[in-house]
This record gives sequence, C-alpha cells and structure tokens, in this order.
Amino acid sequence: MIPYVNKYDTPECKTLAETVKKSIRTPASLGLDRCIQCGACTASCPAARFTDYSPRQIVKKVLENDRSVLESEMIWSCFYCYSCNLRCPRNNSPVTIVQVLRQMAVNEGIGVEKLAYFLEIGEYLAENGASKIPGAGVKNMESDLGERWISFKKNLESIREELGLSSKDIRNTHGEVQAILEATGYFNREKWLKAKIQEKLLHQLLENQCIKRENRSGDFGFESDRRCPGQPAFII
Amino acid sequence: MNAALDKTAVFICHCSGNISERIDINSLKKTLKAEGIPVFDYEYLCSREGQTLIKNKILEGKLDRIVIGSCTPSKHGTLFKKCIQEAGLNRAMLEIANLREHCAWVHPDKAGATEKALSLIRGKLNRLENHKPLEEIKVNIVPQALVIGGGIAGITAAVNLADNGISTYLVEKESSIGGNMAKIGKVFSPDKLAEECAMCSLSPLMNEVVANPRITLLTWTEVERLSGSAGNFTVRLRKKSRYVHDNCTGCGRCSRVCPVLVENEFNCGYIDKKAISLRFSQSVPKIYCIDPDYCLQFKGETCGKCVEACKSGAIDFSQKEEIIELNVGAVIVATGFEEYDVSQKPQYGYGFFKNVITQMELARMLGINGPSKGILVKPSDFSLDPDAVSSTSTCSTERSLENSSEKGSGTPKRIVMIQCVGSRDEKEGGNRYCSRYCCMAALKHSNLIMKKYPGTEITICYVDLRALGFYENYYRAVQDIGVRFVRGRPAEIVEKPDKSLLVRLEDTLNQKITELPADLVILSAAMVPSKGTRKIASILNISQDESGFIKERHSKLRPVDSSLDGIFVCGTAQSPKDVTDTISQAGLAAIRGSAFIADSPKALVNEIPTINQLLCDQCTECLKCPFEAFSLNDSGKVIVDPLVCTGCGYCTELCQKGAIQISGFTKSQLKAEVEGVVKEGDLLGFVNSGIASITCDNIGNSALTYPSNVKLVKVPTNLVVDKDLLLHAFKCGASAVLFIEDPPDSPKVEVIYPLTISHFEKLKKELGDSGDRLYFKKAYVPNTRGLAGTFTSLAREGEMI
Amino acid sequence: MKAIEDVPDNQLLLFKSCMVGQEYPGVETSTCYIFDRLGIDYCINDEQSCCTGIGHYTDVFEGLTTAAIAARNFAVAKRCGYPNITCLCSTCYAVNKEACETLNTNTEVREKINSIFLEKGLENLVYEKDDMNPRTNFYHAVEILLSKVDKIREQKKFDFSGIKTASHHACHYYKVKYLDVLGNPENPQLIDNISAACGAEPVRWYEDRTLTCGMGFSQLHLNKDTSLQVTKTKLDSLQRAGVELMLHMCPNCQIQYDRYQPVIEREFGVKYDMVHMNIAQFAALSMGADPYKVCGFQTHSVPLEGFLEKNGII
Repeated sequence: MIPYVNKYDTPECKTLAETVKKSIRTPASLGLDRCIQCGACTASCPAARFTDYSPRQIVKKVLENDRSVLESEMIWSCFYCYSCNLRCPRNNSPVTIVQVLRQMAVNEGIGVEKLAYFLEIGEYLAENGASKIPGAGVKNMESDLGERWISFKKNLESIREELGLSSKDIRNTHGEVQAILEATGYFNREKWLKAKIQEKLLHQLLENQCIKRENRSGDFGFESDRRCPGQPAFII
Repeated sequence: MNAALDKTAVFICHCSGNISERIDINSLKKTLKAEGIPVFDYEYLCSREGQTLIKNKILEGKLDRIVIGSCTPSKHGTLFKKCIQEAGLNRAMLEIANLREHCAWVHPDKAGATEKALSLIRGKLNRLENHKPLEEIKVNIVPQALVIGGGIAGITAAVNLADNGISTYLVEKESSIGGNMAKIGKVFSPDKLAEECAMCSLSPLMNEVVANPRITLLTWTEVERLSGSAGNFTVRLRKKSRYVHDNCTGCGRCSRVCPVLVENEFNCGYIDKKAISLRFSQSVPKIYCIDPDYCLQFKGETCGKCVEACKSGAIDFSQKEEIIELNVGAVIVATGFEEYDVSQKPQYGYGFFKNVITQMELARMLGINGPSKGILVKPSDFSLDPDAVSSTSTCSTERSLENSSEKGSGTPKRIVMIQCVGSRDEKEGGNRYCSRYCCMAALKHSNLIMKKYPGTEITICYVDLRALGFYENYYRAVQDIGVRFVRGRPAEIVEKPDKSLLVRLEDTLNQKITELPADLVILSAAMVPSKGTRKIASILNISQDESGFIKERHSKLRPVDSSLDGIFVCGTAQSPKDVTDTISQAGLAAIRGSAFIADSPKALVNEIPTINQLLCDQCTECLKCPFEAFSLNDSGKVIVDPLVCTGCGYCTELCQKGAIQISGFTKSQLKAEVEGVVKEGDLLGFVNSGIASITCDNIGNSALTYPSNVKLVKVPTNLVVDKDLLLHAFKCGASAVLFIEDPPDSPKVEVIYPLTISHFEKLKKELGDSGDRLYFKKAYVPNTRGLAGTFTSLAREGEMI
Repeated sequence: MKAIEDVPDNQLLLFKSCMVGQEYPGVETSTCYIFDRLGIDYCINDEQSCCTGIGHYTDVFEGLTTAAIAARNFAVAKRCGYPNITCLCSTCYAVNKEACETLNTNTEVREKINSIFLEKGLENLVYEKDDMNPRTNFYHAVEILLSKVDKIREQKKFDFSGIKTASHHACHYYKVKYLDVLGNPENPQLIDNISAACGAEPVRWYEDRTLTCGMGFSQLHLNKDTSLQVTKTKLDSLQRAGVELMLHMCPNCQIQYDRYQPVIEREFGVKYDMVHMNIAQFAALSMGADPYKVCGFQTHSVPLEGFLEKNGII
C-alpha cells in the first residue's frame, strides 16, 4: 500500500530536519539547527526518567537525517508534556519534533497500530461535536477503576441534570464539523489507517506461523501493556 | 547646466559591487554627462587610490564643488571631507549622496534603484548651488578627563591617564573604589597555576589613585548630567553626604560602638555590617560612612555613640550633600557589571534552597574578609543572627561557625557547580551571549577548594568548557587535581529534608540521566550590565546593545569608542570579560582618551545657527532656546554659543524675522535638495540626523527593503522644516511627507522631542486639508523592520492616490 | 509574560471541555457559579465544538484538521460577540492558541482552510488574518479567577485555614506557550494564590512540582505502567510534604490523579491521604457553593466526604 501524504504535518523534503522545520506542528522559530546537545530536554523529561526515551538523541538523529528513528519504539514514549519545550536554552522543541516524526511513521505505515485505539474519536466528534474516551479506553478504565466509576458513568446524565446542565454534552455544530472533517481529508485518512492496520494484522498472523514470538517485540506489534490495545477500532 | 555648477563633478563609488550590482552606474554617468557634469567612478573611493583620484580631478579640473555617491556619510563622511580639504576646497563644498544604505541595499529592483540614485545625486547637486564656504569653528579641548566607575577598569584607566599627564577625576558611587574585583578574593594565574590574592594586586593600585597628584578621587558621588560637546563637556556630580569628615583616621571605634546591624551589599547581603562602616577593611579612601537609612540618629532617635567614640571629631550629622560641576575634555565609562539575578531560573531553587549560591557569593565566602572569614560552610548551617552578635565583638562569625562544627556538618563535602546560568540562554529573562568569565571562575574556585579542603568532591556541569589560550593550562591543572566534569545542562535541583541537594541532569557523554548529590550548589551566573552602566548610558546618551552593554563604535577598529565623540568605554560595561581583558581594554581607553585630548584645538560641527544681524530686530524670542545657547552680547546683538548649541533648529521656528538659519540646512538649501530629489508620487522623509538616521541606515544593513519612491532627506531635526518647505515638497510631487524623529530616550532628546511633536501638530493644522499627508514616526534603533514597514505602507498608499 | 491587569472580565466565551463534561461536570458549574458572583460577562455557546485536543495529541488528527476546527470555533466566538475564549481545560487553551498563531502566520494553511469553508458553503466561517489575537483572545479560566482573587477573598464563606494544599499547574497551560503565562513559567503560582485567598496554606515548593501528571494522552492507554509511575512520583512527593488537598486546572490531570490514585494505591501497595479538586470547585466551595449540586463531587473517585466533614461543610 502506498504511503499516506500529509502535506502540512509532514511536507516532503530532502531531509528530516527540513520536514520538521516546515511542518505546521513545530513553531516557526524552531531552534533545531542551534541544538548544542546539552541534555536539558532529556534531564527534564518524564519519559526519559522512567524509560529509555531520550529527546536529545531523537533530535540528534533528526539532525543526522537518520530515518531509522521513524521505526524506533522510542518516539511513541513521549508524554507531550512540553517540558523540553519549556527548558531548551536554544528554543528547540523536541516535543513538537516527535509529533512530526510520529506522523511520518504513520504515513509510512510504521506506527499505525498505535492509533488503532483512538480512531473512534473522529467519528464521534463529527456526530456529536465533542470528543470522548475511546471504547477500548473505557473498557480498560472500567477494569482499572471498578464499580464506583462505572456506576457514576451510568448516572452521568442524571448528575448533569442535577447540576443544571443538559443531560448529554452534545454540541450543535449544524453538521459543520462533519463537513470540515470530510474536506480536510480526515475520513480518507481514517479509512487508509484502518486498511493499513488490517494489512499489518494479517501480515503479523502470517509471520507468526514461521517466526518465534519473542523475536517480534520491538520491531512491530503492540507494545502496550494493556489488555484492550485497540482492537475495537479495526473490527469494521 | 547651471552656471554655479560649472566646476562641479560627481564621483561614484562601486563599493566593490555593493553599489554597482544594484545601480546601473553607466546609465547614471551617461545621463549626467549629457548635462555637462563630469562623472568619475571607482571601485573603492575610500581607498588611498580612490582619494588620490578625487584630489587629482579637483586639481586638474579646478573643481570647486563635489558630490560623492557612496555609502552613508556617517561611515566615511569625515574621511572624504578631509580629502577635499587636502585638495584645497572648503569642507562645505562636499555633498555625499547615500547610494548604499538608502538605495542599493534597500531596493532590489535595479531600474528603480538607478532612478532613485539619480534623484539623490540631483538633490545634492542642487544643494551645492547654494553653498557658501563655512568658517571653521575651532575650540580648545579641556585638558582634563573624567573616569566614571572605580572598579579595576576605572582605576586602570585613571592611573594611565594621569601617567600620560592628564589631570583626571575618578568618580565612584560607592564609598570606596575597588568594584567587583575587591569582592572576588582571588585571581588565578594561568602560568603559575596558582591563585593570587586579588586585593594584593588591587590595593597598591587603589593607593596609587590617592597618591597620584593628577587624580582627584570622588567617592560616594554620582554623575547626574552631562552637557556641552566633545572636548568641552560640563558634568554635574552629586557628592552624597558621608556624615563623616575627611579627618577620619579610619580607626574603627565608631563602628564598634554602633548598635545597628545592617545588610552588607559587599558581602552579598549577609547582615554583618554596622550603620557606620567602611565598605571593606582596605577601603580607599579609608573614611567611614553612615547609612542614614539605618542610623538611629536619622530615625529620630538619640544615639550619638559614634560621636562620643570618635577622637578626631569627624562625625557630623549635619553634613550636606554637594553639587559639583566639572569641565572635562573626555570621558571614560567604566561602570561595570553585576551578577545575573539567578532567581529568574526557579528550577535551580535559588532563594528557596539555602545551599544554592552564586559564584560571587562563593567568592565572598572564600574571601578572608568575607562573612565566614574564608571558611567554606553550608549556608544552611551558617547564620548570622543579629541578636547573637554583641555590640563590641567582631567574632560573631566565628561563634556561629563553632556552633555549626559542633553539629559536625559545617563543611560541604560534595559541591556541584552549574555553568551557563542565564548565559547562552534564549528563554525569556536569559541572555544569549556567553559570559566569558564563568568557566574560569568555576575552575578557580574548584582549585582553591581542592587545595584547602582536599577530598572534597567537586563536579562542574558544563556544556562547552571555554578555557581560551593559555587558560587551558589551568584547566588541565584543575583536571589533574581531581575535579570531575559532567557534560550536561541540569534540568532542576531538588532539596532533601536534610537540606542536601540533588542536581538532576543528563550526562550527555554516557547518555545517562544522573542525580548528583550535593551539599552545596554553585550557580555560575551570567554577567549583565550593572544598573549604573544602564543609567550612565542614558545620562550620557550613548548607544547600548540589546542586552544593555555600552556599544562600541566598531568591534574591531574602534573597540573602546562609544557612539559619541570624546566618550570612551572599557571593562565589563562594554561586554562580559575577565580581569585580564578588562585591564588591557582600560589601558587602551586611557590612550584613546589622552590622544583625543592631545588633538586640541578641535574643529566643531558647523551645523549650528547663523544669525543675519541685518534681519534681526533683537526681539529676543530666540532666547527661549531650551539649551540656553543664545544670549545678547555687550553691544546688544544676539550671539550663539557653539559649545552649548545642539543644532536642533528650534530657534528657526522661534525667529519670526527669518534671521536665523542652520548652516548647511538653510531654507534655500533644503528647498533645492527637495526639488532635486522628489518625483511625482514620492514619499519624502525628513530624517533626524541622530538615532533616526542610524535606524534608516540600519534598514539597509539588515537587508530589508522598501519601495524606491521613498526619498530621505537628512535634517538636524524636523524643527527646521517649515510650512513653506512642505508646500514646496507637495508642489514638487510628494504624495506625503514623513517626519522621522529620535525617540526621547536621552536628556537632550527628552527636551527636543516634545518640541518636534508640537511643531508637527502645528504644521498639520496650518496645512489644512494637506495636513492629512503629513506623518510622524519615532525611530528606535532596533526597530528597523517597523520603520521599513512604515515606509512601504505609506509609499503604497501614495501610489494609490 | 502576561500581565494580570490585561486579563479581561468581559466578552468571555466559556469554552466547553469534553473531559469536564464527561468526567467532572462540576468544574463547569463551579466556574459559572463564581463567574456569576464576580459579575463576569461570559457566555456558553453550544455551537462550539471540541478543540480536537484528544485526537490531536493521540496523533489521529492532522494539523490542518485541528486548525480548521479551531477556525470554526473562533467564528462561533466572534459571531456571538464573545471573542475572548476562556478554557476550562489546559489542552483546549494550548490547541486554540497555537491554531490561532498558525492561522495568522501561515498563509498557505489559512487559504487552504478558507477554500475548504467556501467549497462546503460555510462562508461564515472564513478566517481573515488577525481575526483573533493569540496573545489577547485566549485565557484559561484560572487566569480570570486569579484576576478577581480579591473579590473571591471578600466573598469567602468558608475559610480553609490550616488546610495544606498543593497545585498541579497543567503542562499545556504553562509549557506550550510559555511566553504567555501569568508569572514565571518555571514557577507558576496561579492556583496557589487563589488557594491562599480561600484561606488555605499552599505548599508552594515541593519536589517534582513541574512533573507532568502522567496521562500523556496515549500513554495512559498504551503504556499504563510508565504512566502510573509518573503519577505516583508526584503523589509520593506530596504525601511527604503533608498535602491534604491537591488542586487542578485541567480535567485530564484530574482524571489521572483523582481516578487513578486508588488504582496506584492498590497496584503499588501505597496509601495517600490526599483528595483532589479543580481550583474552581475549591473556590466555589469557599464561596458557599453546594458540594454536590454545584461542585459535583459525586463524580470524583477519591471520596471527598471526609474532607468536607472535617471542614464543617457537610
């Protein structure tokens, strides 16, 4: 399947650095080229503290135009907390660079499965004008949070009414949000993503028959420690 | 061709392509030659060969008026004037058309630029028709110098000036000279790999200041005002009252009996000083000083203990401050730096965590005249409780040290130093520059501590270690002694309940996130211009860079000249630097100052009012000059003092008879230039020749552009532009006229600016409907982009009309 | 740095937050409760949609979609005459502010979005350059509360003296657009100052105070262990500091701390003596709001009854 084209987030350029600088996800004044590898980003990073993630190394790879970074599990560990953005003395912004890298990885079909979990958000938004925790997330939260939360969720409508709010948080967007999502190409992308995820799943099943399971982790596959890692999204 | 111009020639400089690539010089030559005007061009007119060309052509053709098309006159104007003078012409007979900053560099369209270049040259040719030779006004330079700031830079400059035979005033706002160098305790020597006592180097110098008969030392004194001009400045000083007369012997009895403890700025805010005190024990002059904010006597209480104790009767609560006026030929600014306020980086916890201090605070701690008498302590274990200090004892510090050693935790064992705090930092509140001194200060303090407290674990967290030249030897020695270096910029500091600290950073060389435990963390704070530096820059009206340091004229060719003639700068007031570099630079500033003074008499700018005594009816309106430059002489005639006059042109507005004109900017000259320059639909800008003019030039330097139908004419200020001239400009085709004025940022412009505003408003009213075509803009030097934008939008508007 | 004097008290569009609406609806009602009593001119508009934040930061939406949805919401705000978008959620705040900057500075994106609007017959949504100002049209509700902190103090009915509170200033409020924060972005004090006005004792300095909540958008769902480790780190620090009440300004952080505190206690075998509220809920409570009918505490996971009883509110 051909890669997905995402012109604004990942404009096609000769180098990773160029793409990152031109992307609308990164600030116009990005100090990428001025990086002095001081490590203030990594030292400030919650993901780096608890995993092998390193924003400094990601920036280095981008500057070296090392495209293997797109296949690295590392880029999926960022919390998007923007601590590196706040601390960088050169006005670089690793957090927004990682956003671009993730989009590039998705376009090449590398990280699509990471999105499976959240693909309901688009349709729900089009219909209701609001977002919600995706279905797989609700299932995981139910098992994490137990009875108290489940019963509150069941009573949400009456609680909202008691507070003087409408029973459901639904917005009246006159179909405009639906129209915008169509026209910006969101639904096409969603379709592409779902197909890509299916393709990968099949590929994985086939590969599983000849390769031992242990070898699989890291390259591809669901790194999630979750019981519901997003299957609902691609059972179409 | 006009008869007055039959001996005029035009010279055009290529500026090595800067001009010739954007302007079609051949087409200019063709057009002008067709009108019978000789035109010569050369690759570099500013070169020796270029000047020879000009001189030869003047002599060959018996030329008497010259137009040069080149870079901005503020760059080579003086050089070219000198050049034509050497060929026997009066300097008034030269006009420079700015073909580079005002044309080639700002108009990418070659046809437009060439057309504009021609109009600029025509304007200058027109102007020359009306030129008369100007008499040179020469003044004698006052053979005295003023040095502002008594740190190592100011002391060095003063001593050097005096050694050159120049009588020098050294002004210091504190009660003693010595500055920051007196605070730092030790200076390092890269060849002996040792640390020397800073005071031992400084003290003899300070004493020389007092001993030298050519130096007048004025401490506890601040500069309030500077007027006059280069070579003849008048400086107003405020000498604050010490409440102690000069017959003080410095015995210290007064301080010992004084019951009031105050915060000691010299010791970084420790409360270890009395309300009557010396700044430090080797203070020069050694005269005590009372702080009236704390002295009980000034709070309405009766105390008088110091008066009783003083055997020479030096204390005098009624002593008054003095205003001193000095006349000097040159000024050297040596007002120094202060440490960056590290509390702007809360992630390092300064101000919250007691054991986080700055390098300067560490220097004070290691100084034997410091708060802990040179003993390394953890600030959390060290307190100077005012109640614990008996009024007669000076051993308070030792006592609290004893207390802390009883707890057995006094001396920090693990020290972490963090480099680049507030330096090389693009974030809000940070400074983009490298502060230059901090790497070496950290190495020096590490070495000192390792020698005195062997076994201490010191870690320096750096990003790039900058030990330039021979300093590398010292760096190696510090490595050898066992100091550890970690490459990484710490993210934050955490304080544990026992007041120990954790410095969180990535060791970027082994790529591990590390938490360095520390008993004491030292922040190497950036060097920023002192408040005094900022204040003096504004009082003297000299340029500063974006960080507030005083800007030199040219980083390579004029490294100690400020933006104003006769005012020089040295030391950390100019840029961050260490003691060694400061001393070298101060020596140069002294030489430049004495050379300036030696070059007496000096020719003054002749662009000042001339009074036509035939038209003058002695109405005395011109005596309203805000600078009081006008007076009546013994025979009742109005005269102007060229030294006081700022050339602003307000008098031309005041004089109803039209008897006053500014030389070089007479009504007929301005009219003539406008006629030559303006084409149908042009935006005409009258540019103040000060800051506004620099800003216009900077548009070109910043590679910004604006349309070529924007024409700029330089004026002393817009006060010389009257209604008649504006109507003339409109008649010549100007779609709009823009006044570009200096911002009211200096004492001089603070006076002139409101006058230009009301002048503008008055003209707008007088013009009636055409008043809508008159605009006003303040031009700040950094705002080149804004000014170019104004030019573009007004020019576009004009095109639409 | 933003100046507190420049924070407006009129023409505020109280921007509905999806996570507030679905998890902590009391945050919205508490904010309205305070706004009504402080005489703030605001409106809520049901035509306003989600900011796309959850989808944007789980990498589902492209930048173009996010900017287009934002442009639509800006049109809604302008059309109803309430152009000062005031968010209950820090991510809405950051997403809207960034989108506005993109729309103003990136001509290509702006023109593309406008052409989409025209193509879909949505002329009324067309965004002209500088229709909104990223620095002056976007606020977090906490900024409005802080600008009226004196009035909150005046109208205080319950005094929480002796209660040790700690603030969790939301990352997307002060780390994304760090130049537009009230105060130094390395040490935000907004919640603390409001908490102090309610009589409480804010612990202004605690270890890891700038650490993220750990939700990390996809992280809670894909890497739960790491996510909860981050959350736990901050809870541990606050427990050491003796904090009783942790105050929030973002529903995402509140989910992470309030909903997951019991999970962490269970899974890591620890115990925390801490309850959670949004600062608006706390300020409303202090001004006399009903804990259930206004503050909506029945939706919380960490029960607040003990806290409310101790302070004599129930």
